[in-house]
Amino acid sequence: MTVKIVNLKLNGVDKAFMARPETTLLLGLREQLGMMGAKRGCAQGACGSCTVLLDGSPVVSCLVPAVTVDGSTVGTVEGLSDGQVLSDVQQAFLDGFATQCGFCTPGMIMSAEALLERNPDPTTEEVQEAISGNVCRCTGYEPIITAILDAAARRRGTTAATTPETDEGPPPTTAYESSEGMRADV
Amino acid sequence: MLTEVHVPDDLSEALRLVAGGARVLGGGTSLMPRLNDHASTPTELVSLRRVGLAGVRVDGSAVRIGATTTLAELEHDDRVAFLSPVVRSIASVPVRNLATVGGNLFAEQPYGDLTVALVALDARASVLDAAGRREEPVAALAGQHHGLVTELVLEVPAPSTFRYLKATRRRYNSASIVTVAAVVEQTDGVVSAARVALGGVGRQVVRATLVEAALLGQPLDEATVASAAQAGLGQLDPSDDAYASAWYRARVFPVHLRRALLGR
Repeated sequence: MTVKIVNLKLNGVDKAFMARPETTLLLGLREQLGMMGAKRGCAQGACGSCTVLLDGSPVVSCLVPAVTVDGSTVGTVEGLSDGQVLSDVQQAFLDGFATQCGFCTPGMIMSAEALLERNPDPTTEEVQEAISGNVCRCTGYEPIITAILDAAARRRGTTAATTPETDEGPPPTTAYESSEGMRADV
Repeated sequence: MLTEVHVPDDLSEALRLVAGGARVLGGGTSLMPRLNDHASTPTELVSLRRVGLAGVRVDGSAVRIGATTTLAELEHDDRVAFLSPVVRSIASVPVRNLATVGGNLFAEQPYGDLTVALVALDARASVLDAAGRREEPVAALAGQHHGLVTELVLEVPAPSTFRYLKATRRRYNSASIVTVAAVVEQTDGVVSAARVALGGVGRQVVRATLVEAALLGQPLDEATVASAAQAGLGQLDPSDDAYASAWYRARVFPVHLRRALLGR
């Protein structure tokens, strides 16, 4: 068995990890790089909870052998916020109560980010198609669809995005602290 | 146990590894679920991700689709817009960004809807092995696991001759209950040529030659399609699975053949 080094540009930062033949991109992210945003759900490509952006496109990272994507650019939910300021999609999910247990949320958000990158003004049906690979067993999908349409409107400038309010003290000074604060490890 | 995943960056090295017994890995959307489940045990994989087979070339009406072109790339290529509804009926966005055109040829029914369309479109596959390059009809590739498919070759169908309809349990991201793909040409009010392929109704894609024969020389109307569907039932060998029973698939087939061919 050959262990290989896999280099990634992960959320804009160069990262490297050791991968065995059976190491998927998902396991590399979670177990080697400690990025717990993407979740292991079905490991069949059916639930979408492991969705990340691979060279800009959403993929189910559980089906990607890590050694095949050496040198690629990968985006995960951890890379979306700017310090304490959430991305439009994250903020719209929060404001619209589009999460319940939260397990599907990182994958949903990455699918939504990819949709809005390609199509800034999607219809409800286009949103439904974009998240058709992401299973949510809590919400019934309606709040998620509404949140993604809301995020699209915010990004187009139709509605001003809101920033989270902090109760006390100055905001954290590094992206690392705030991303720790927003992360839901499972 | 998986001992090696090769990622060669040229085709001859990939071919050498395949000849040595390594299993071909395209987008991984069929093979990786089985590996993750430990339900399939190849020891060596050869990924085609870097061998340079991706891309669509269009020259007049001739289309050449590289085997590792992803379904998503095909979906968004306006030059082959007739294939976009086919691709959008398959799986979901994060799967289509991985799944390859070549891999779809080997997807097991009731998956592999692009292949159903390719059979109807009379597409041919360029296959490379130790003996050299050969071209084979896509329909003849079913079940073969030797050599490397490098490219699919087909003609853009004449306007309004290509029909495709997939009956599913839900609008998006569902395997086939019945998939109908057809190229039907009409001259002087009657069907002058027909190629009909079916998915979801057999262990392989079904080339519905009995349906084709029943359409030929007849006006394309409800009576013709109903009798063609009756004729075609004899070629179906549907399975029971989580999506539909064999009984249901056979019941749905005449209705969806009509909807596919007549639009109603």
